Amino acid sequence: MSYPRVSSIAATVVAAVLVVPFNSMQLAGAAAPAKAVVSRPLTSPPSAIPVTTSAINAPQPLSQRVVHYEMDAKLDAKKMSLDATEVLTYHNFTGRPQDTFPFHLYLNAFQPKSTFVAEARRDHEIDSDFDWEKKTASGEVKSLEVDGMGDLTKQIQFIAPDDGNAADRTVFQVKLPRPVLPGEEVKFRISFHDQFGEVVARTGYKRDFLLGGQWFPKVGVWWKDAWNCHQFHETTEFFADFGVFDVKLTVPQNEIIGASGIEVASTNHPDGTKTVEFHGDDIHDFAWTVQPDYRVFTDTFQSSTGPVTMRLLMQPGHADQAARHMKILRQSMQRFDDWYGPYPYKQITFVDPPHGGLEAGGMEYPTFITGETQWWMPDGLHLVESVVEHEFGHQYWYGMVATNEFEEAWMDEGINQYTEAKVMDDVFGRDRSMVDLWGVTAGELGWDRVGYTVVPDRDPITRFAYKYMSFNTYGAITYWKTATVLSTLEKLIGQETMRRALRVYFTKYRFTHPSAEDFLKTVEEVSGQNLRWYFDQAVYGTQVLDYEIMKASSERTDWFGKNLPDEKKNVTVYHTEVTVHRKGDFIFPVDVLVRFDNGETAHERWDGRDRWIRYSYDKKAKVLSAEIDADHAVGMDKDEFNNSYLSRGDETGRHKLVHYWIALQQFAGQLLAWFA
Amino acid sequence: MVDGRGLVSEGRRLVWRNQRALWWLFAANLLLAALGAEPLAVKLAGVTDHSMAAQRLSQGFALTTLVELVSRPGFGFSSDALNSIFYNVIFFVFAVFVTGGILEGFRSSRKLSTAQFFEACGHYFWRWVRQVLLFSAAMALVLGVGSGIYSWSDTLSSDAAAEKLGFWVMVGGSALTLLLAMIARLWFDMAQVQIVATDQRSVVRSVGQAFRLMSSNFKTLFFMYLRISLIGWTALLLGLWVWIRFIPATRSMLSFLVLELALLAWLATRLWQRASETAWYQRYEAANPPVAPLMMDAPLVYPLAAPEPTGNVLAVEDVKQEMPVLRLEDSQPS
Repeated sequence: MSYPRVSSIAATVVAAVLVVPFNSMQLAGAAAPAKAVVSRPLTSPPSAIPVTTSAINAPQPLSQRVVHYEMDAKLDAKKMSLDATEVLTYHNFTGRPQDTFPFHLYLNAFQPKSTFVAEARRDHEIDSDFDWEKKTASGEVKSLEVDGMGDLTKQIQFIAPDDGNAADRTVFQVKLPRPVLPGEEVKFRISFHDQFGEVVARTGYKRDFLLGGQWFPKVGVWWKDAWNCHQFHETTEFFADFGVFDVKLTVPQNEIIGASGIEVASTNHPDGTKTVEFHGDDIHDFAWTVQPDYRVFTDTFQSSTGPVTMRLLMQPGHADQAARHMKILRQSMQRFDDWYGPYPYKQITFVDPPHGGLEAGGMEYPTFITGETQWWMPDGLHLVESVVEHEFGHQYWYGMVATNEFEEAWMDEGINQYTEAKVMDDVFGRDRSMVDLWGVTAGELGWDRVGYTVVPDRDPITRFAYKYMSFNTYGAITYWKTATVLSTLEKLIGQETMRRALRVYFTKYRFTHPSAEDFLKTVEEVSGQNLRWYFDQAVYGTQVLDYEIMKASSERTDWFGKNLPDEKKNVTVYHTEVTVHRKGDFIFPVDVLVRFDNGETAHERWDGRDRWIRYSYDKKAKVLSAEIDADHAVGMDKDEFNNSYLSRGDETGRHKLVHYWIALQQFAGQLLAWFA
Repeated sequence: MVDGRGLVSEGRRLVWRNQRALWWLFAANLLLAALGAEPLAVKLAGVTDHSMAAQRLSQGFALTTLVELVSRPGFGFSSDALNSIFYNVIFFVFAVFVTGGILEGFRSSRKLSTAQFFEACGHYFWRWVRQVLLFSAAMALVLGVGSGIYSWSDTLSSDAAAEKLGFWVMVGGSALTLLLAMIARLWFDMAQVQIVATDQRSVVRSVGQAFRLMSSNFKTLFFMYLRISLIGWTALLLGLWVWIRFIPATRSMLSFLVLELALLAWLATRLWQRASETAWYQRYEAANPPVAPLMMDAPLVYPLAAPEPTGNVLAVEDVKQEMPVLRLEDSQPS
């Protein structure tokens, strides 16, 4: 690896001193200004990467624009295939000469011998009934040229940096005959052909619906002094550099099209096609969709930086749900704007995939999200709302903060799952944010907690996404455990502090690809507390948190006497003991609330370090109950049932469940007796 | 042609007169279900009785609390389900057993004594066992049709252009399956009624005869059966609606009572169907009295060597009337 040229280093230093902080949207409460943009070296030729701002509500670029993708694609709607050219301008901000560039070619994951399929098969997500004829997809690079270096098609080499699977063709690299120096730009001209399959894992078609996600050769990210370009795995999502996208899509004229960014032009052609041009600023991916009979709904949200067009593409059969989708989208945008920071883009596009195509649903791309609904979705089942909110939330954690989803998936999915619960709780109420139907209720945080308690100790949160034990543990830990860890953290530092910490984290690290310690240190800085003891266990470890009330009982102090007088309330003196036990290996300070039958209470706080602690009281009252974490804020406690003890048992809950079970069995018995 | 008017009312009257059977059956249903729930109750006691977390189930119905409860290690509902299935099978066998006594009770002009009731139960029991096997075979065919339609609806839900097509196919398929199941049940109900009426020992023959009987009187029988079924389903749904809509989550005893009433009504309508079928068959018998078989020791219609008829010739009808038809009740001292 050669040393960077001195002139480049000097230019970089000068630029860093002179440049104005790129984020003009400094908000009250931010603890530190956003990172400065490192602009191009003064001695290099002007960058070919545009400094456009037409797609954002900002007077200047928001990110360090590493890439500019100019793509021209023509869709064959009958074959569901696409031919395209891509001009990728890459600005070498790595600080080193680069002669080897890796690219993602994600569509090749949908082939029988790929790593994605092998892992899905291991976890029984794909079985022998899988319809390969319909679902196979591919991305083929026809040619690759580099300006000034000629045709390098033959230099393309497929690699498998994660598992050595030679049959996996989701990553290729190309070696240039001479390196691109730091600060210089290189232009790749790629022609490629995509064959979409029936929708699998977010991309593909179903009937006349098509979602084009991960459809173009995408260069890897130089991160932590190395190329970061993982293969496509069953449990991984995506990681790419910020830049500008200019994409032309030629499709049949009858298609309704939606995409990342904003539409800038549309031209009809005599052959019955049309070319629609899209432009995106400060985004790191581009997705699109077509379907002839989308129902289009638009509205405007007034963010703190300017108006945002909300564009919904709904299935005809779900048009009656448009208002519901629009409402939760607006509610989510408002809360994120108030709590964490503004959404700076001029548009957000929401896509409602069709029945049979829901594998394209519940997904996020910059300024473009997909939902999941069915025609029968009752109002009290908040699945519609939770998906819309969740995918919008990704615009912040995935879209702008843009952490590495291969290696630190929790920083997007987990943080987003937590903020989803906060928004949904704020909109619907804490214990009803998930379900409020026919007397049955469920809250988001409760659901997250239950999901986590099923597999609390399998994998640490920080494990690479593709190294989890299984797809199920990946989901439970990355999403639910992380959300529960953060909600418990909120208990430690307070809700307002937690919100402020996320706001600071967002405003400081957006567009910069931070990693775990950036987030954790931000929380410590904002809270003013050393939280390492918590993070070491909850984030980096697999310790399980479980405290229980082992015993809570009262005995009269004169028990040893003969001919004892009758017990009298407020007269007889009792000795009460409450024993709290740490069952799990996670050490956490706990609050204990003891109630007595004369109305008195005792509040205790235990650091939780020892294995048990005993509290004793001598009072003219008996103990009624003892409870750990009476606020139910320590979501990480694996077992809520042992967190409390009622000295006088209450059989109501048991009777209720047993009665329902009896009635159910009677029904089943009568049904069976119908055969008699 | 059998007059089908008033069958439903007559059936109701028969059930009311023989309501003892209904209460026995319901008591067995409840008792066996309670026995099946006992291990669950014991398990729950150790977890919920002294825990404040259980209040989220008794003072409302927090789904996440329930899920957490059943997710506890060693708690799973599968062992409880197996236990309950065992007791449901016992109830099924009991229901098979008492069917003979119930049908005999419906047929009889007088209330059966307990001894008579159980004697009838035992008399027909093995015939019911054989019939259950035949009925199961018929139902396997019906469920096969249903399964095929369900599989098709599943494919349509994913692949058809119209999103609801799969749903409507499933609804239509379910209705068709239910219709076929009801017809099959009616058919075998009539076979049971006929077995009791004629003390027919051959189950296969009675099934064949019942099929012909049902086919030739399908409209009357089926709509009688359907009307009573609708009453039963309405009672069940009404009970569920009242439970969900009006009863607070904290009133678990009241909820249980409402559910029990709904289940009792549902069970009663099943007996009601049996009673109405029996009433119909009695009318059928009256309209189509059986031809008495010739017996070796019966007086001859025509004396062999009589040169000419005398006034002692008996008409066939007279012979039938004089031939006693064996009935269980008549064999007992009154």
